[in-house]
Amino acid sequence: MKKINDITIIDDDAITVFGLRKLISSSVDCSSIESYDNGKIALDAMTEFFKNGQKIPQVIFLDINMPIMDGWEFLEAFIKIPIKDKIRINIVTSSIDPFDKKQWENYKSKSHHLITFNQKPIDRNKISEITQVA
Amino acid sequence: MLYNVNDNIHNNNIAKYDIPTTFVRNYIGMIKVPQISNASYLIRQLPTPTAFIDTNYNIVQTSDKWSSIFDKNEACSDSKSLFAVFPNLSHKWKMVLNNCFKGNPQPMGIHQSIDCTGHEQWFEWTNAPWYDTDENIVGAIIQLSNITEAVNNELELNKKELLLEQQAEITKIGRWEYNIAENKLFWCSTTKSIHEVSPGFVPNIETALFYYKEGHSRNAISMALFEAQNNGKAWSNLKLQIITSSGKEKWVMAGGKPIYNKGKMVGLIGTFQDIHEQVEADIKTIDNEKLLRTLIDNLPVNVYIKDTESRKVLINKAECEYLGVNNPKDIIGKNDFQLYSYEVAKKSREEDLKVMNTLKPVIGKEIVRTTLSGKETSFLSSKIPLLNNKGIAYGIVGISLDITPLKEKEKELRNIINIASVQNKKLLNFAHIVSHNLRSHSANFSMLLSFLESESDENEKKSIIKMLTKASNNLLETLDNLNEVVSINTNTNIAIKEMNLNNKVVDVCKNLSPFILNSKSKIENIIPTDFEIKTVPAYLDSILTNFISNAIKYKHPERQGHIILSAERKAGYAILSIKDNGLGIDLEKYGEKLFGMYKTFHDHKDARGIGLYLTKNQIDAMNGKVEVSSEVGKGTEFKIFFNEKN
Repeated sequence: MKKINDITIIDDDAITVFGLRKLISSSVDCSSIESYDNGKIALDAMTEFFKNGQKIPQVIFLDINMPIMDGWEFLEAFIKIPIKDKIRINIVTSSIDPFDKKQWENYKSKSHHLITFNQKPIDRNKISEITQVA
Repeated sequence: MLYNVNDNIHNNNIAKYDIPTTFVRNYIGMIKVPQISNASYLIRQLPTPTAFIDTNYNIVQTSDKWSSIFDKNEACSDSKSLFAVFPNLSHKWKMVLNNCFKGNPQPMGIHQSIDCTGHEQWFEWTNAPWYDTDENIVGAIIQLSNITEAVNNELELNKKELLLEQQAEITKIGRWEYNIAENKLFWCSTTKSIHEVSPGFVPNIETALFYYKEGHSRNAISMALFEAQNNGKAWSNLKLQIITSSGKEKWVMAGGKPIYNKGKMVGLIGTFQDIHEQVEADIKTIDNEKLLRTLIDNLPVNVYIKDTESRKVLINKAECEYLGVNNPKDIIGKNDFQLYSYEVAKKSREEDLKVMNTLKPVIGKEIVRTTLSGKETSFLSSKIPLLNNKGIAYGIVGISLDITPLKEKEKELRNIINIASVQNKKLLNFAHIVSHNLRSHSANFSMLLSFLESESDENEKKSIIKMLTKASNNLLETLDNLNEVVSINTNTNIAIKEMNLNNKVVDVCKNLSPFILNSKSKIENIIPTDFEIKTVPAYLDSILTNFISNAIKYKHPERQGHIILSAERKAGYAILSIKDNGLGIDLEKYGEKLFGMYKTFHDHKDARGIGLYLTKNQIDAMNGKVEVSSEVGKGTEFKIFFNEKN
């Protein structure tokens, strides 16, 4: 398994963050896992990394329903940052709204990053599958 | 013959004169002619035109009167043939003269001649044998009497009678005369033909009355006759019915008046006119008009006729009712500008002109008319040009069907469809929210449980159980929220009450007072103290609490919170305004999501994203609405519309 430098989780639900951290740390070899409460905080951090020439996390777990800035808004802004690397963005949601699926397809086609759509719950197998570097 | 010659005196007188005569030889004709000697002086003085002729019709002697009529030259008055004076001597007169020569005097006759001035003259002649002293007939004495004037009068009269007759035939106006003294009634031929009796029919006053139809007609004519005979009153233009001798009913116009002779009423004369066709036509016209009127008055559409100036010339009952008058006369002659608002009238006039100019009718056009009183009505309007016999429009017929109730139904229906689609959307949205929320909780549970299963570390186990408890609490809270939403949306029998808005605001502020005091915010309530609204009390509580606490929660950190509550009424709504000077919301970004579930826009520890969602549901449930205006960094104003129709 290829070592992954940084993994980022963007989710407002503490339990989900806890679960994801636990799953990732037990099945993937990575140096750090960062988490952000909503899209806004995450975007600010990413923008800062990009400006300072720091590495952007290789894998991002993204929730959709969040306060202040939701997952889609984050995506919209994130794909505009001229990041050369191909980032893996795993959307993790419990939504079965067809609108969300459409949004995903829309962003998938608009961006060079690898964007996947995953419904909760996520188990150990799933985690190893979607934590490969893009 | 009208000219009355009164007697035969001439004959006798002349016969009695003893005129001394001698016979002289007529050298031309070798005939013996009586000679007149000294008697000629006497003859010349005779007061009537008189001539003595011999049996060869030669004039022997004339009176001066004769000469003055016929002789241009006094010298040659005598010894002329009678044929010179009367070139076309009638056969009758010649015969009479011949008989006279034989001693058989015969009655008079009339004859025409030309006098010395060339004028036509009419004479009545009488002859007597001319005896000589031996009682032998030597000729005849002719006496003339000038009757030219009488003859002319008679010719004139004949002409007039002929004219009258013709006139009567053409106009169908007959005459009648009634002679009171003789009790004789005369009908002219036209009068007879109107009665359909033979030309030889002799009417009398009783049969004449009997021809009138029993009832009104006979009574009326009897009264008129009575009035005329007893009071000398004339009558005219009596429209009556007769029954002709063939049994036909006919309308006639009768007139009559008394005639007098030396102040005494001697009879009655009058006219008698066949007006049957006219009256029948009139009756038919009236019937047709009635039929048309009945038809248009009972049509469930508005009907009107306009002239070229767009003035109404005819309107039916429905149009009267629409324009709010009882009598069509109040509208007739008025144009659209006097009946409708200027804009409507201008449009209508333009359309009228177009229809009349192009001769193309407008059929079933949907329009809205506004009367001067401001009443708005939707019509399906048709305008059809009225053409004269030259094919030029002299006006239009308008037919308008009031479709206002239909339009309202349509609007209502559209509204219902709208509501249904909004509800449907809301429902689907809610379903997704429910599914999402429950699924996210259950996902957390299953994840935590799977961790717990494989976890050996006791401390880690404890922390997972703590997480599970938290997840369980979250689920309960979520269920509570969903429950609340469902109850708002499913409770259709919500009891709406009139409430004093100001009092309610004061109550809610009291409940929130620790919170308000803590934030050092200022609340300004300028709602009129008597401002009543129709609302569900519990919802009003929730609405006020939510908006006021939101305004405090999201106050600007650099200034004191200032919240102004005011109210007004507008277009069927009581509107509550809650205006703050807080953080403001970027409506362009969040406007759509403002009232969504679990949407929060400020990084605030107490934001749950459920308050506005519930509030919005409550407002919707009361058929109200909410509007928001905001500027980031300056403040927000929410306007809550309470429906007054509740």
